[in-house]
Amino acid sequence: MPPLVSLFLKRLLGALPVLAIVLVGSFLLLEAASGDAVDAYVARSGALDAEQMTQLRQEWGLDKGPVYRFKAYASALATGDLGWSTAFERPVASVILERLPITLLLMVLATALAFLFGSLLGVIAGARPGSVRDRFLSIASLAVYAVPGFWLGLVLIVIFAVDLRWLPIGGIESIASGKAGLARLADIAAHLVLPVTSLATVYLALYLRLMRDRMSEIWHEPFVQALRARGLGRSRIVWRHIARNAVLPVVTMLGLQAAAMLGGSVVVESVFAIPGFGRLAAEAVARRDTPLLLGIILCSAVTVIFANLLVDLAYGRLDPRVRTGR
Amino acid sequence: MSALYLRVTDLGVRYGETVALQEASLEINQGERLALIGESGSGKSTMAMAVAGLLPRGASVIGTLDFPVLGHSLRLGRDVGVLFQDPDGSLDPVMSVGDQIAEVAMMHQGIGWIAARVHAAELLGHVQIARPLTRLNSYPHEFSGGQKQRIALAIALAGNPSLLIADEPSSALDTVVQRHVVNLLDELVRERGMTLMFITHDIALASERADKIGVLYQGRLVEFGPAAEVLGSPRHAYTRALINTHISLDTPHSKRLPEIDKAGLV
Amino acid sequence: MKFWRNLNWEGRVGAALLAVLILMALLASVLAPGDPLAISGDPLLRPFTVAAHPLGTDRLGRDVLAGLMHGTRTTLLVAFFSAAAALVVGSIVGTLAGFLGGVGDAILMRITEAFQTVPGFLLALAAISITGPSVPTLIFAISLGNWTQAARVTRAEVLSLRERDFVAAARTLGMHPLEIAFREILPNAYGPTGSLAAISVAAAILIEAALSFLGFGDPNRVTWGSMIAEGRTVLRSAPYLSIVPGIALVVTVLAVHLIGRGLFPSGRLQP
Repeated sequence: MPPLVSLFLKRLLGALPVLAIVLVGSFLLLEAASGDAVDAYVARSGALDAEQMTQLRQEWGLDKGPVYRFKAYASALATGDLGWSTAFERPVASVILERLPITLLLMVLATALAFLFGSLLGVIAGARPGSVRDRFLSIASLAVYAVPGFWLGLVLIVIFAVDLRWLPIGGIESIASGKAGLARLADIAAHLVLPVTSLATVYLALYLRLMRDRMSEIWHEPFVQALRARGLGRSRIVWRHIARNAVLPVVTMLGLQAAAMLGGSVVVESVFAIPGFGRLAAEAVARRDTPLLLGIILCSAVTVIFANLLVDLAYGRLDPRVRTGR
Repeated sequence: MSALYLRVTDLGVRYGETVALQEASLEINQGERLALIGESGSGKSTMAMAVAGLLPRGASVIGTLDFPVLGHSLRLGRDVGVLFQDPDGSLDPVMSVGDQIAEVAMMHQGIGWIAARVHAAELLGHVQIARPLTRLNSYPHEFSGGQKQRIALAIALAGNPSLLIADEPSSALDTVVQRHVVNLLDELVRERGMTLMFITHDIALASERADKIGVLYQGRLVEFGPAAEVLGSPRHAYTRALINTHISLDTPHSKRLPEIDKAGLV
Repeated sequence: MKFWRNLNWEGRVGAALLAVLILMALLASVLAPGDPLAISGDPLLRPFTVAAHPLGTDRLGRDVLAGLMHGTRTTLLVAFFSAAAALVVGSIVGTLAGFLGGVGDAILMRITEAFQTVPGFLLALAAISITGPSVPTLIFAISLGNWTQAARVTRAEVLSLRERDFVAAARTLGMHPLEIAFREILPNAYGPTGSLAAISVAAAILIEAALSFLGFGDPNRVTWGSMIAEGRTVLRSAPYLSIVPGIALVVTVLAVHLIGRGLFPSGRLQP
């Protein structure tokens, strides 16, 4: 079978033990949380006396010990049942499915933005290491890397939404605007500009740095002198050869940052009042909805694993040495 | 009598305080093969790189380089092709070999991409890479050291240069492969009427393949002339010592290895 | 001082900034006595308008500068200790994994991967949800997501050092493997861990700020994150309330990064 496909399958298989550990960890978290489903039920629908609670526990199999509970938990998961959200009074799975797409969209757009502009600026800086251009971009990226995403979001809101009124303050689209088709798309896009920028900026600085540093190293590698000896123009050497080699670790970093970006979406979505998966996590903690939080953790792990797999595939296409199994 | 291709007059190269080469003068005619011999640090690579115009930025150069046949200074890739010692360090690892050859051809011959790819396949064939059309899309890591060196040669030839500079082209290769690459080099250069400057520490190689020999010692060109003269009646003590230390398959076991007494040399 | 002279400009700027911040934290009670959460003036005073409140006051009339100075304590405390905890735990795990090899290594590495797969921020949220927010629990929660990098770096170092001569010598002397691990190998692995330390502290600062911004920080303490969150309610009329503490954050994180690069210039971003 083609090498990339076997790579994909191998990675998938390797991810299973990790998922298993996350599963066990989540279960332990569930156990550690004070109160079980019966307590949650009581909190929701009114008091029961001790005897009724014991009876309910027996009915729901909650008195049978942790191993039984784990098996029940795991088998429920296998059928896609992530439990019951006490805060939303709906199955956890349906709550998550409703909110996940927006966050995925946010993350994909932010990653694309950060990667494209970060790499571009990184090449510009790395084309002449030590030049004024390079120093400026390096210092700027260092400063940007120190900026908290949520604070940047607020600053952007103040500038663009409050003062300049170019963009909306929050939400994913204008409420009850009745827009449809392209107009609706444009509306959603306008709502996404600031949150995507807030999320992407710190990673942009990271990728810029990485690209620039790698290019700076590559300039000293022997094959660059060979390229010069071929009489190739400087710009061609920089873009077609050095940048092309330097982009590899940046791509690897994309996968490694997937988890961080998902975490970052929690605050960014909160700042911009976006009904996404990230903000759901904050809500779950605030409302002490442990089953929901667990469902979120599991889904995060799956999302991150999937993102890493995609990145690995992309890397495989970019680095020929990996393709032929070297 | 062929035309004078290169005249080097009092060439000197310095890196800050360190003198890498001084007062070197020689002449090569078109189609001739010059071997520059010396130990490491003797300045042989420096001389070759100075001729090519590939010295690092910190170098200060004095003296003149004339190219009467060309009428202008050397253009990298177009007038001169360079073959380096380490085949692994000569190729871009993420670009297919076909593209790397074609790139040079397009740049210097002004041809389109398809024509360049065809030309690349031809060149791969000339350097004896099997199944050249298929291997256009292969990457450097899929080849052996000897093959990579041959591909590097193809790249060096892709711009149709009149001069080829080979810096210890076979030193990093196995003995058997060495022969192969050197033979190939010789053949191709002769076919195309190119002038060749090759650097080596191997005097036997020089004696076989060179029309003229230059011997470098501690940054000076201590001997220069036609190969037969230099080898037959060397004027400088170092050259004599070099010839004496050469061991070939027919040197008797009992003959002691003479050492070069550097104290006795200028 | 020899230390100062050996530092490049990045390290110097970073060290200077950090010194100021530490001073602020230590002298907060002296320079801005009293409870920073107490009302001390008219509400919503703009910065640089009233001498008594150089950076203005918030919605309830609490002094911004006092909050900033007291907030420095929480920020530095939590960030420093959680990064330290993360580094210690990570180093131990990494050393064990590198030294054990085989199945032990594989298990430890899978566990490390699991902690890397779940976003660190979510791990912190989950921890807080169980334990409730306070400075010690925050330290624990933040270190949950931070320790994996140190584990990887240390393990890589150990693997490369394991085969070196001084380890064989120690074994010949009859040192117990664990002793070798911790007394001989670990100290040598500290190099690359150094620049990682700075990055961990910086990351911890940002996570702590995000947590308090969302309301999951210690409710009894003033933090920059909580100040930013407070300021959000009056974002239109008094944006400075959210902007000023953020600037403090940026400066602090920048200082930490600069010191890291100053002290460990060879450390680089590792994918």
